[in-house]
Amino acid sequence: MIRPMRMATMVVALAVLAAGCSGKKAVTTPSSSGSAAVKKGGILRIGTTSAIDSLNPYNYIETQATNAMIMIYPQLVQYAHGPDGFTIVGDFADSWSTSTDGKDLTFKLKPNAKWSDGQALTADDAAWTINTTVKYQNGPTAEMASALTHVKSADASDASTLVIHYDAPVGNALAQLEQLWILPRHVWEPLIGTNGHDLKTFHPEQHLPMVVGGAYSVKQYEKKGTTEFIPNPNFYGPKSYAEAVTLTYYTNSDSMIADLEHGQLDWVDQVPFNAVNPLTKDTSIVIDKVPGSETTNITWNSNPRKLKNRELLDPQVKKALSMCVDRDQIISVVFSGYASKVESLVGDISPLENPNLGPLQHDCAGGNATLDQLGYTKGSDGIRVVPATTGQYAQPAHPMSYEIVTPTTTDFNVDREFDIVKQGFAAAGVKVTQKVGGDSTASYALETDDNCDASTSTGYAHFDIAMWDWAGYIDPDFMLSVVTKGQWCSWSDTGWDNPAYDKLYDQQGATVDPEARKQIVYQMQQMIYDNWLYTQLINEQYIDAHSKTWIGIDADLNAYAKTYYTAVHQTG
Amino acid sequence: MRSADYVIKRVLFAVVTVFVAVTLNFVLFRAVPGDAVSALRCRACTQQFKEAERRELGLDKPLVAQYWLYVEGLLHGNMGSSLRTEQPVLGELWVPIANTMPMVILGTLFSIVIGILVGVTSAWRRDTLLDKTGLYTALGFYSMPTQWLGLLMVFFVAGAIHLPTSGIRDPTLGLLTHASTWAVIVDRLRHMALPSITLGLSLYGEYALITRSAMLETLGEDYVLTARAKGLRNLPIVWAHGFRNALLPIITLVALSLGTIIAGAITVEYVFSYPGIGLATVEAIDQRDWPVLQAIFLLLTLSVIVFNLVADLLYVKLDPRVVDQ
Repeated sequence: MIRPMRMATMVVALAVLAAGCSGKKAVTTPSSSGSAAVKKGGILRIGTTSAIDSLNPYNYIETQATNAMIMIYPQLVQYAHGPDGFTIVGDFADSWSTSTDGKDLTFKLKPNAKWSDGQALTADDAAWTINTTVKYQNGPTAEMASALTHVKSADASDASTLVIHYDAPVGNALAQLEQLWILPRHVWEPLIGTNGHDLKTFHPEQHLPMVVGGAYSVKQYEKKGTTEFIPNPNFYGPKSYAEAVTLTYYTNSDSMIADLEHGQLDWVDQVPFNAVNPLTKDTSIVIDKVPGSETTNITWNSNPRKLKNRELLDPQVKKALSMCVDRDQIISVVFSGYASKVESLVGDISPLENPNLGPLQHDCAGGNATLDQLGYTKGSDGIRVVPATTGQYAQPAHPMSYEIVTPTTTDFNVDREFDIVKQGFAAAGVKVTQKVGGDSTASYALETDDNCDASTSTGYAHFDIAMWDWAGYIDPDFMLSVVTKGQWCSWSDTGWDNPAYDKLYDQQGATVDPEARKQIVYQMQQMIYDNWLYTQLINEQYIDAHSKTWIGIDADLNAYAKTYYTAVHQTG
Repeated sequence: MRSADYVIKRVLFAVVTVFVAVTLNFVLFRAVPGDAVSALRCRACTQQFKEAERRELGLDKPLVAQYWLYVEGLLHGNMGSSLRTEQPVLGELWVPIANTMPMVILGTLFSIVIGILVGVTSAWRRDTLLDKTGLYTALGFYSMPTQWLGLLMVFFVAGAIHLPTSGIRDPTLGLLTHASTWAVIVDRLRHMALPSITLGLSLYGEYALITRSAMLETLGEDYVLTARAKGLRNLPIVWAHGFRNALLPIITLVALSLGTIIAGAITVEYVFSYPGIGLATVEAIDQRDWPVLQAIFLLLTLSVIVFNLVADLLYVKLDPRVVDQ
């Protein structure tokens, strides 16, 4: 599945053990909100279909690893969620300010903080993490370096003051820094060696107890089993209500749902869409539905140098075909109604989603009229024919018959979604066949070709269409980046190569004024839309389910804040 | 042919099979699109970074060079290091193998015992209700997809008898208080129960059908009729004259089953999230971790070949006529 490392739809299932099961007596205290009493204690049991593959911020793939690292490592800032949506708030940082030229960010950090081993947690740790990450950003630390775009260096002027120096003002600096995990210098510095190689190969989860500064420490780690978190007594922030949190990995979501129903799990997030309605009948379970970050799409190969079926580079053709796709049917059949139409690549999760795009209408007669006007007449078999062309990319006359690549790793039924798209395209006189691409890596290799090389503009020569998904993020920077040339052979799945767009991407990153940045971001979304790099289909809802015995769960905060775990408590 | 010639021939055949498997192991995984570096996707991974990664992992070398390095390593007992974790492969696989083997052994034993009992009983009571019940039940389980059977267990059995549906241990056991060794053992067995039963049920049908068929053949032989004419009771006829002579196809099936113990049961482990070698295989495929995949498939191949060789050698003991065939 194509998705950024950090995704809001990360599958996390929390399950909670009643206080009696933990063998400890529960303690009742006023809640932080003061509105209701909360019961401290108990083991919060979590089930997930996404494994924690590593707790090394320089070397991880799985999305659940992100959530775990939020819990165990200090961050300068993190997200909070309220009636006005998401806002950046301090985590290890109490406050921050920007220099007049916009190139220096100064953070005041929480004083007298400690790592779990009792060593002082200071601005020096943060500065060391930043400087080390920047130093090896083209090698071992590349994974986390994206949080430090344009950073030159960082200084610790005293134990609780951190200054980050940028080579240019960065409009979304705080949103980027939210993805920076501060590491204990006294543990990680000896790993640098001569070239920093061991920073990437180190497995802190194999050296328990880990030295942590966040809300939890790791008592036991099992990649494909259960990872146990216990509260870190030295944590600088609000302590966990639960006495422990366990995260259990499931390969099979049906088993996970069964365990929830049998009382062996108390919280399951990303409930499979076909399981939601049966679960609603269980009165002991609460179901939360919030707008999700995941969108599904038809991906069009938009590489201007693609070799065949070049009629699919024409936005009019792509739009005409898209007008024959019944998105309401997709929502009803594939997502059991738990999705909505979406027009922008950045998705509904982003407050910078351009509301003025489209909307794409389901008007197949209009789509057919466009294709007729373009000269793609139907043959005797009802399939339209593309006339022969001349020039550098000359192609003979050929029927409009294409393959659509689909991965096997989507968390929704992509086969059913393909069937609906196929019906729509057939109504437009276009034949498509499904090419099952295998897992994410194999499918992506089919899109990029094996010899992909951005420096020589090699790759994206053969595939025509794919159907996949993206998981957006609150700040749209990443989603906007995936169609830049800079992401060729890395995250680009369209092969688009548009210098004007790339220039805008750089501009939005360096624009500090929020309103000015918003206008650039809107313009970029409009360019993506007008060129039909994707046909946006739907925006999934994010659905979790949990036992009524636990409250304080804010599904919106999944993978965004430590309070996602720490604020959860048993009913009094 | 002398028995020694037969044994040497079988052993040489096994060695050649291993070599062919080693080569196929290498070629097949590289035919899949993508590699370990393309599987590792990150926002800041530049082309230069990826090329450096490929150099570091040896993926930039020609395939022939990679193949010889692989064979040379194997001859030195070195299966290489995981491309993902950079840890020695055998160390990475030890825990999954240790998790898988007891579960698969338990399930296989269950299937052998039940399958043979049902098969013998069905043949003995041919065309009775007992025979038909045993036959159709065996056919039913034999034809069920294992993953579907596993899901039935999850939905309808686990909750009813309070058995866990996933993992290998209770996540809360020993978390806040000390857990006794006995409690840990009981917990492991509880987690092993459903996967083992599922595996056993999916295998037992085959044992029952083969045993029944072999038994029917031997029970129709003249020497069985002679035994009856001599006034022997049913039990000695069935066990001493029938079952012992029906052992050859059963031994073959047992050998094949034991050969897959190392491989585990991927579908069973997947349904029950059982952290064994099957799940390790799926993960290695996802991450294009070729050394791990090669090691897993080599171990699987070796175990199948070794147990088949053992079966071939047992034939000589059970029925010396095979040497001349």
